[in-house]
Amino acid sequence: MAAIAAVQIGDEELVASAQKGDRRAFEELVERHQQKAYRIAFDFARDREEAKDLSQEAFLKAFTHIGRFDGRSGFYTWFYRILVNVCLDYRRRAKRAPAEEYNETVERQVEPSHVPANPVSPDQHAIAGQLSRRVGAALELLPAKQRMAFILKNHQGLSIREIAETMETAEGTVKVHLHRAVTALRQSLAEFA
Amino acid sequence: MVARDKPALKACRNLEEDLVLYYYGELNESARSNCEAHLKICETCRASLAEMRSLLPMTAAHDEPAQAFWDDYSREMRRKLDAVAERETWWRRIVGLAAPFPVPALATGAVLLLTLTLTLGKGLWQSSTSAPDDEALIEVLPMAEQLDFFSDMEILDNLDLLETLGGQGNGTV
Repeated sequence: MAAIAAVQIGDEELVASAQKGDRRAFEELVERHQQKAYRIAFDFARDREEAKDLSQEAFLKAFTHIGRFDGRSGFYTWFYRILVNVCLDYRRRAKRAPAEEYNETVERQVEPSHVPANPVSPDQHAIAGQLSRRVGAALELLPAKQRMAFILKNHQGLSIREIAETMETAEGTVKVHLHRAVTALRQSLAEFA
Repeated sequence: MVARDKPALKACRNLEEDLVLYYYGELNESARSNCEAHLKICETCRASLAEMRSLLPMTAAHDEPAQAFWDDYSREMRRKLDAVAERETWWRRIVGLAAPFPVPALATGAVLLLTLTLTLGKGLWQSSTSAPDDEALIEVLPMAEQLDFFSDMEILDNLDLLETLGGQGNGTV
């Protein structure tokens, strides 16, 4: 019964309850958005633990600042703006930290979307692994904002307008980021086309 | 799919950005018509679009963690929320206590801050004032040694005179 009631309640009502101090309402918002948030963070960090930490950090920031949410945009947009900023900050922090080798454990987690679930030949498996490494490295080389615009468009399917809103920038800027990201990725991955 | 060395296909320069937007379905009606008209006559741009279609979907990484991961995620999230809520409660309690009496509370805070500054700062000031004394002592000691040295030198210079005076003294005794 509680589950049915939860499904019927919109984000706005849950936010209103959370703003009045209802922890359960906020936890319901987390439950609703955690998988999407995790996927964006994973696309960005390409590491399971990092993605978990980043998405949770975004939820904690949202929880702390829920009182400031004025409802002018949807909770989804507001929250994803926080998440994007957390991911971009992570990128800045990671840049300051000594560069690490691209992690093999990450490679095992990341399977390119086109790789079939059916058994593959050793050759195909090797090429898929090679591609995955190259994609990771190519994405890693992109400037953070280009990378985010690309992820939100290519992986998450957001519209240019939504991306601009989430990244708090002009639509024209998003188009430029996207174009540059695609050009750079195509150059890095042309051999796999 | 075979990995081989080849450069990325370049679309016509004036259509490059529009082609990316066309691929993502982000062009308006008229720009889309222009793009499609160009694609009909330009083989390079058609090949470039085909390359995007084969390449870009490959870049998405899928991670589907098991249910156990999400259970952990929720547990950890609740724990972190508890910690944040606890911190906020602690802070609010203090603010809540002070809220009915803003002026006395501020005054008390200022007095406490001043007391702390004076108490802790005193030690710092004392240690900072004693340092120059030490430095002065370090500078004075070698100077004193040098003065001793010079006074020894003066005695040596006057040694002959002392001997003469001593000799005369001996002669008179």
